[in-house]
Amino acid sequence: MKQMHTDEPKLNRSRRSFLGLLPLGVLAGVVASIGGAAFRFLRPRLSAPSEQWLDVASLSELKGPQPVAKKIVAEQISGWAVTTEEHSVFVLPEKNNQVLSTICPHAGCEVSWEQTTNRFACPCHESYFAADGSRISGPARRGLDELPTRVQDGKLQVQYRAPDGETHA
Amino acid sequence: MNARVENVSERTDAGVRVWLQTTGGVVGVLLLVQFLTGVLLAFYYVPSVDHAHTTVSYIEKVVSSGSWLRSLHHYGSQWLALFVFLHVVRLFLSKAYVDRTIAWVAAVAMLGLVMAAAGTGYSLPWDARAFFSTRVAEGLMSGLPLVGRNARFWVLGGNEISTLTLSRFFAVHVLLVPFAILGAIVWQFGRRSCWSNLTRNAIAGGAVFVALAIWCAKFPAPLGPRVDEMTADYLPRPGAQFLWLYQFLKYMPGGLGSIVGVVLPGIGLAILLLLPRLKAQRLLGSTILGVLTAMVLTMTIAAYVSDRHDPHAREQLARQATDEGKWRSEPFNPQSLQSSQREPQSTGSTSAAPVMYMKFCVNCHGPHGEGAQQGTLRFPPLLDVSAKPRRTVEDIVNLLKDPAAYGLQPPMRSFHDKLTDQQMREIAAWVVQLKR
Repeated sequence: MKQMHTDEPKLNRSRRSFLGLLPLGVLAGVVASIGGAAFRFLRPRLSAPSEQWLDVASLSELKGPQPVAKKIVAEQISGWAVTTEEHSVFVLPEKNNQVLSTICPHAGCEVSWEQTTNRFACPCHESYFAADGSRISGPARRGLDELPTRVQDGKLQVQYRAPDGETHA
Repeated sequence: MNARVENVSERTDAGVRVWLQTTGGVVGVLLLVQFLTGVLLAFYYVPSVDHAHTTVSYIEKVVSSGSWLRSLHHYGSQWLALFVFLHVVRLFLSKAYVDRTIAWVAAVAMLGLVMAAAGTGYSLPWDARAFFSTRVAEGLMSGLPLVGRNARFWVLGGNEISTLTLSRFFAVHVLLVPFAILGAIVWQFGRRSCWSNLTRNAIAGGAVFVALAIWCAKFPAPLGPRVDEMTADYLPRPGAQFLWLYQFLKYMPGGLGSIVGVVLPGIGLAILLLLPRLKAQRLLGSTILGVLTAMVLTMTIAAYVSDRHDPHAREQLARQATDEGKWRSEPFNPQSLQSSQREPQSTGSTSAAPVMYMKFCVNCHGPHGEGAQQGTLRFPPLLDVSAKPRRTVEDIVNLLKDPAAYGLQPPMRSFHDKLTDQQMREIAAWVVQLKR
């Protein structure tokens, strides 16, 4: 009987500390349930690379030793919206109309063709690429990306691949 | 033995009373839910009449957990209004306006703010219900005595409902009101009594959250058709916390609706806010809260009953629910943004306006339906009018006969004695094909 009396305050103390933690538990429960849903809700939606073939130019236009700058218009689905975006590419007529992306593989800036030095130059961090797209110097670790091409009805077509963030290569 | 029974009964009463004092905890948890889900919805929602419905559809149909989170926000707002009201009643019964004035004022202010958040939130999805709720807000504002005209302009952000109206409602809904609510909460934090009974408050709040979460998993928040796809027979119904106002407005002719729907509740809230400084507090408070409770209860029940007893309304509402179910099962179609970048076309129609339009309508609406300004009066353009609800050829013919039935006010007049049915139909057919 005496033992019970000495245990009572102990029990009350542990009961009180449990009840004291309860509000925090409820708060954590609400935040965790919504937080779990929030993680799924905010998860980025990655779209598969576009299979769409886009016209670059007629084969008859693609001549000469220099890379030819061309614009292509790609349709892009971004969540709830369909947008059309213009992208630049370089066609190399002397290399069987190979098409190069203009996105520098270092940090994603857009390279331009320097006719005087016969090379591609990145305006951001001074990476340089040869006329065939291979790396010459600078912080980029590889050459310019080549895009898939085909010829359809006398026109050069390309499948545009947006940079997937794997720059710094 | 009798003494023991009385003792147990007293203890039970005291227990029930203690649990009835947990409305603050429930309000706290529901506010937390509103803040969290509101922030999440803002990641996808775009407040523009072109994109609002599409982005809400995207949340409903594509984004993982989107339907549940939106449902929590939607029904949570209704439950919040109910529990804030119960909290105010509970504080009144415990005479908080005498000895806990900060808690009292903060709770009454919260009631007004929660209703303001709900009112502005209803417009945001820009579905048919949203359009009509904005129309009703416009009507309530314009009916206010003395300030009606300006109040309407300020609410709409112009002289007609547009994407500017939606931007305004969005800013009020996500910035002004939440900041004011946070202010009211922070104001209360200094009080010791707000931390008392914390465990029971937490248990009650947690239990209500679980119930809300289950409810929302079962019932997705409604989303009506896009405004431009709405049929003329669409019946808009507001959320539960505004059903009383909707029903009341059925009985209130003209500007009286603004008095009953805006002015009187506003005065009531102001008196409740000032209650700690007024005399006859008990009488004033119990009268206002009593009348408010009776009115809200009676009108809400009347709204449900009248829909249930009107076969036309019952069938139409059932049809709308079926259509919404069908829409939910259809895949989401991304919206092309091309339309917003298209070249502007010349205003007006290529076909000539009917003779009777040039005779009776041209002075106010312009030769190409572009609208006109006469002194301080600005007459609305008719371009793209067919994209608005209730503006089919048939509607416009009826509108020309009875403009008031379509919510139009003077100087728009009836032409039933000036034009034949055929002439009205010619004008209507020409007007519906006017494009910007």
